[in-house]
Amino acid sequence: MAAISISESEFEKFREFFYRKTGIQFESSKRYFVDKRLEERIELTHSGNFRAYFTKLRFEASGAELQQLTNLMTVNETYFFREEYQFQCLVKSLLPEITGRKRDNTPIRIWAIPSSSGEEAYSIAIYLLEFWAGINDWDIEIISSDIDTKILALARHGQYSVRSVQHLPEKLLRKYFTRQAENYQICDDLREAVEFTRVNLSERIDTRAYRNFDIIFCRNLLIYFDDASRKAAAETFYDAMKPGAYICLGHSESMSRFSSLYKVRKFPEAIVYQKPLLEAR
Amino acid sequence: MALIKTQTHQPIAHDERKQARDCNSLLLELENDNPMARRWAARDLADCPAASAALVSRLQLEDDVSVREVILTTLTVMGNEVAVVGLVNCLRSEKVALRNEAIEAMKQLPDEVAPIMRGLLADADPDVRIFAVNILESLRHPEVESWLISVIDHDPELNVCATAVDLLGEVGSSASREPLLRLKARYTQVPYIQFATDLALKRISDG
Amino acid sequence: MKRILIVDDAATVRLYHRQILEAAGYKVYEAVNGIEALEKSLQQPFDLYVVDINMPKLDGYGFLRELRSQDIYQAPAIMVSTEAQTSDHQQAFAAGANAYLVKPVKPEQLLIQVKLMIGEARG
Ligand SMILES: C[S@@+](CC[C@H](N)C(=O)[O-])C[C@H]1O[C@@H](n2cnc3c(N)ncnc32)[C@H](O)[C@@H]1O
Repeated sequence: MAAISISESEFEKFREFFYRKTGIQFESSKRYFVDKRLEERIELTHSGNFRAYFTKLRFEASGAELQQLTNLMTVNETYFFREEYQFQCLVKSLLPEITGRKRDNTPIRIWAIPSSSGEEAYSIAIYLLEFWAGINDWDIEIISSDIDTKILALARHGQYSVRSVQHLPEKLLRKYFTRQAENYQICDDLREAVEFTRVNLSERIDTRAYRNFDIIFCRNLLIYFDDASRKAAAETFYDAMKPGAYICLGHSESMSRFSSLYKVRKFPEAIVYQKPLLEAR
Repeated sequence: MALIKTQTHQPIAHDERKQARDCNSLLLELENDNPMARRWAARDLADCPAASAALVSRLQLEDDVSVREVILTTLTVMGNEVAVVGLVNCLRSEKVALRNEAIEAMKQLPDEVAPIMRGLLADADPDVRIFAVNILESLRHPEVESWLISVIDHDPELNVCATAVDLLGEVGSSASREPLLRLKARYTQVPYIQFATDLALKRISDG
Repeated sequence: MKRILIVDDAATVRLYHRQILEAAGYKVYEAVNGIEALEKSLQQPFDLYVVDINMPKLDGYGFLRELRSQDIYQAPAIMVSTEAQTSDHQQAFAAGANAYLVKPVKPEQLLIQVKLMIGEARG
């Protein structure tokens, strides 16, 4: 079989389609990166050429191929303090706003989904303890969920590779972890501070019990969903949030492709989505 | 004060679905003052096919976008005739947001929308015809290209043709080449059509 | 270099406007609907917006209303739409538009409006 190659206008055509679907926009300088991955999928799906593959991509009812390709086009690993600017936003902007308007002293609730192996939820906990004075006045609940029970077991266990903790300042690493051979073990205080639960975000029965959150982190999950599931997820979150609650997405993700339920809020550190404080009659 | 675990272990607050879940009480709930109650009613009405008419009329009045979204999802799940007719009527609404929401819902219903597509593309209102072409954008249906070809060959309204050309650049095959050339020749004075047809033609010949 | 955000769900229209504006020396950015446009305008300042009306998720009117309520630099906005009725013009101005063009626009028509709104390019 002749080598598959992608022409200039095929690249353009794909770029526009992918941008419309996912909001991810590739500069022309990314041409090689994109071509490589397209060629790989064309080959693996036995499509023969770009045209046939593109048709599959557009018209496949399940959207499965689009998801496959999206996986390839995005980097997916998780580590401590990933996208730290959002945690800064949490302590500098979101929590002060919440405590400023809160009329009772019930706990402030945070939901981080998907948890993967737990780095994100633990990062939130560390951030609150280290960088938020309000921790002395308020109770905070952190619940973190994932569909994958094996990964949840790892999260609860809390042992991490050097790579996973590499962005943590040395001081915090020493304070909250102990070295165990090749790895770092997170301390029991933190393990007890986060509740890990199994949830399939796309399953109504699973999410029904999740209510009254003040802040949701949903990073690097929706990007793998098809349109209908993203829309459903946006609705699920809406019901899980208090009025005025906030939702933070991953840096390459945007609500703009699948929901108009939320207000876009700009804070000095990040852009965040907010459920309206007052619902229309 | 500190980081704490959920005391209840069940992070359940309370179930908003107080009403018994039969179709009649759900219909009443649809008029509740609380948007949350309306949302739940609209969601659960998915099991009451007879409710589609009520959902359609609620949709036209509903000011809360979160409730509208749920109603639209339920109507798409139902996908019956009343639901589809209701969605078509939204295309004629004065409310831009509602129109666009209906377009998106209809994209999810290829089998139900296909039989009425010819009618929509021949609608007397050019705006409705543009919306019909917008629906084709994501409608997974084998006839999309031939519908678009017939639009650019026959539609008298420049902007309807322009919308169709945009899409042909993505879905067009060699079958679209001649019609595109004809359109280009018809509007030699319109720079946008010259640009758009050239682009579509280029993409078709390279693809 | 002056920065312009094109907000339109039709890829061909964005490309058409982009080429006209880039040829005149402007730096061009794109958004496919009002929400994305809002996100982008909150992240970086623009000197001008060129906005379609009918778009999914958040339409052109909704975008301008949101934009005008934000505490950021308020650049002028040109509404560009297929809708030719006076009521549409009125609605656009009420939402915060500063000019209105009916699609499809001619290159010189667009450039004249752009220059009126933000002055000469290459500045
Ligand atoms: C790339 S990780 C994201 C980790 C972390 N949030 C971050 O941004 O670094 C994706 C995770 O999503 C989980 N996942 C996939 N589908 C899911 C679903 N339907 N519901 C909940 N979690 C899901 C996977 O098990 C995986 O752990």
